[in-house]
Amino acid sequence: MIARPPAGAPRPYRFPDFVRHRLPNGLGVWLVPLPGRELVSVHLLTDAGAASEDEAQAGVAALTAQVLVTGTRTLDAAAFAEATERLGIEVGSESAWDSARAGFTALGAHLDAGLGLLAEMVTDPRLDAGEFDRLRAERLNDILQARAEPGRLADERFLGQVFADGVPYGRLSAGRPETVEALTVESVRDFHASRYAPGVADVIVAGAFDPDDALAAVERHLGGWAGTGPGHRTIQPRQRGSRRVVVVDRPGSVQSELRVGHLGIDRHDGRYFPAMVMAALLGGVFGSRLNRRLREELGYTYGARCAFDPRRAVGPFTATAAVQTEVTADAVRELLAQLDGIRDAPPGDGELREVRDFLVGVFPLRFESTAGIAAAIEPLAVYDLPDDWWHAYRSRLEAVTPADVQSVARELIRPDDALILVVGDASKVADELRAADLGAVEVVPGA
Amino acid sequence: MSDVPIERHALGNGLRIVLSRDPSSPAVAVNLWYDVGSKHEKPGKTGFAHLFEHMMFQGSANVEKGQHFSIVQAAGGTLNATTWLDRTNYFETLPGHELELALWLEADRMSSLLPAMTQEKLDNQRDVVKNERRYSVDNQPYGDWDERMQALAYPDGHPYHHPTIGSMEDLSAASLDDVREFFRTYYTPNNAVLTIAGDFETDAALAMIERHFGPIPPNASLPPPPDMAVPDRIGEAVRVTVPDQVPLPRIYLAHRIAPFGSDAFDAFDVAADVLGSGRASRLYASLVREQRVAQDVSVFVFPIVGGASLFAMWVTARPGVELATLERSLLTEIDRLATEGPTDADLERVRNLQASRTASALERIGERADRLGQYTCLFDEPERINTEVTRYASVDAGRVMEALRTSITEHNRVTLTYVPAEAAS
Repeated sequence: MIARPPAGAPRPYRFPDFVRHRLPNGLGVWLVPLPGRELVSVHLLTDAGAASEDEAQAGVAALTAQVLVTGTRTLDAAAFAEATERLGIEVGSESAWDSARAGFTALGAHLDAGLGLLAEMVTDPRLDAGEFDRLRAERLNDILQARAEPGRLADERFLGQVFADGVPYGRLSAGRPETVEALTVESVRDFHASRYAPGVADVIVAGAFDPDDALAAVERHLGGWAGTGPGHRTIQPRQRGSRRVVVVDRPGSVQSELRVGHLGIDRHDGRYFPAMVMAALLGGVFGSRLNRRLREELGYTYGARCAFDPRRAVGPFTATAAVQTEVTADAVRELLAQLDGIRDAPPGDGELREVRDFLVGVFPLRFESTAGIAAAIEPLAVYDLPDDWWHAYRSRLEAVTPADVQSVARELIRPDDALILVVGDASKVADELRAADLGAVEVVPGA
Repeated sequence: MSDVPIERHALGNGLRIVLSRDPSSPAVAVNLWYDVGSKHEKPGKTGFAHLFEHMMFQGSANVEKGQHFSIVQAAGGTLNATTWLDRTNYFETLPGHELELALWLEADRMSSLLPAMTQEKLDNQRDVVKNERRYSVDNQPYGDWDERMQALAYPDGHPYHHPTIGSMEDLSAASLDDVREFFRTYYTPNNAVLTIAGDFETDAALAMIERHFGPIPPNASLPPPPDMAVPDRIGEAVRVTVPDQVPLPRIYLAHRIAPFGSDAFDAFDVAADVLGSGRASRLYASLVREQRVAQDVSVFVFPIVGGASLFAMWVTARPGVELATLERSLLTEIDRLATEGPTDADLERVRNLQASRTASALERIGERADRLGQYTCLFDEPERINTEVTRYASVDAGRVMEALRTSITEHNRVTLTYVPAEAAS
């Protein structure tokens, strides 16, 4: 047998350099020239995510992003779809909590034409009443469909149960059925008119282009856009209650979808890097503690993982697994034991090194595509991260020590505060969960 | 347009090698296509090819259980494997200087999986795969549509009749003896294609391949491929209604068509995009945007090579829409395309979409390696990666009409309808 071969000499990798401009109307412009590429990606970000909407209109940001794609003043929905797709361009437009994004990837030759159509869509959209009605109905139907899927039902219910009443994060960024139902085409038009503005927007262009030409194209298509925009409001997350078990009844389920967690960190938390390394070690890679124990040793699940979801304000920390119904209580116990374990002792050097080496080594692979590079610029624009963020990224990961992992786990992983949410067949799992003494058990209907 | 470099080699033991060098990439992709999928399974052993794929991550002579994943990830790599009807593929993408590590890991399990095999590992992965089935099929709305569709579109006993994930009963029956026999039969160098794409030196890579894979003996008596013969048409209109925990009814259609790799298949590929790809597609424009009878539509072809492939679609009903109305609207659009053909604007649109999508996919060296492996394993023709766009663009209106008229007919159609359970009783 041949023994494991030694590695060759690593080749240095550097995140592509980019240049920033700001147009007189306030629009931020980020150009990432990538010579030799066939494609170009354009991402136009606006501070018009769900964090910028009024709670009574929850979902207006998501719906506005969707209605944008149904045409411009000069092109109706059909004509706009034809005009873009004829260039091989599939325009995307969606919103999250902290921004709305419209964009596309195209062959380099179509940059100018594509940018022109995207700019027209964002600055001079049709916002047609008929298309609004259709998309609102589709949105409501999608919520219905999502609630029939155990995983998506669990995601939605977890947010509603982990955040206190009145905290916007306690719902999906796409809104609630009641508020979506109440939206009108006027609410979308008002939201667009006040929130979509160059003063709170950035455009990222990554790929094959001449930087002077690209800047001129951005100026030509977006230089005449005007407005400052109010931007987002401040969200102050609070958790609902302490350690407890909520069973969302879904009769007939052959698996239980588990969501275990509590509040986590925001995007500017000083513990960002140790927190990312700790979460990867606990549940972010195949050999992580959660997956190793629940899948590779116990066979309870196809996969177990955990992650922080940092936003402008504190987002959730969630551990996730879909487990066979019969082992639900055991699986929760095992999962909690892993949350305890990461707090109780620092990880071994080898275990930490493996995870750190993965996060550092995999870095270049994240940026193979022009769209991947454009997406990497997004957090810099949205969260005002320093320009050298990606250049410093790997060394900041490498600096994380076993003591850092334990100390950040003791601060950020709090099994005693955890909400244990189970979407499953209550008639089969509730008694067992009560007997397991994991916290007060409440059973709520799934539909 | 795309021009992926291709260099072919072979080892004395029959291992086929495809190299595609790209020094501009910071990484290297290693991909193994084994010419074995669920179509090779025996009666009573459904799901075994996929369960076996899991066992390939349970360690080999020099690699501990779970370490295949950990070693690649610690080297800064990503990896996985998939099993489908025709094949099983294993792949990793790593920084260029770790190429030999990937080759060593793949060779170690190709040469010496069995010494590491235990009943405990098999039992564990059987449980994992059963949970994969529960997760992706049994606990999901519409979750069993593809296994129902395959069972209805292919006759009992045909190798595509049963699903890759298998049945719970057959998974329970899998034994260590099955693992041994499957490994010895199919996991041999003369039943595999090894592809490397990205940053590497050709001579050094070939020397590494020879060093690690050269000593592995071939299977001198590879079984002949399974008999995939099946009539071109289903021969009757097959209709099944499934009451399920779904909020909205959904209609699935499938038709037997020419297999992947044929010129006729390309015409169906184009037809599928004209009908269902993008917001300017015929079905989206008509059913979703204009008539508002559908919540969503999807049209696709199965890239499978045995006997017949499938031209399939689904359309989800808007609340309150009669299924008969929805089905009629759907079939009207298909018939219109079959009789009038696509317009020049339709063809320009789907050709440019396909060209963009192909370019996007081939930006990633892992995807390049996988497609090279696919074309070599299925057709012994890796060069097809560079003619995807021209083959697609060569399809004209006449070929689309011909394809639809011959195969997309009532007596070659499975209609599978999901309805909310309470409404069905």
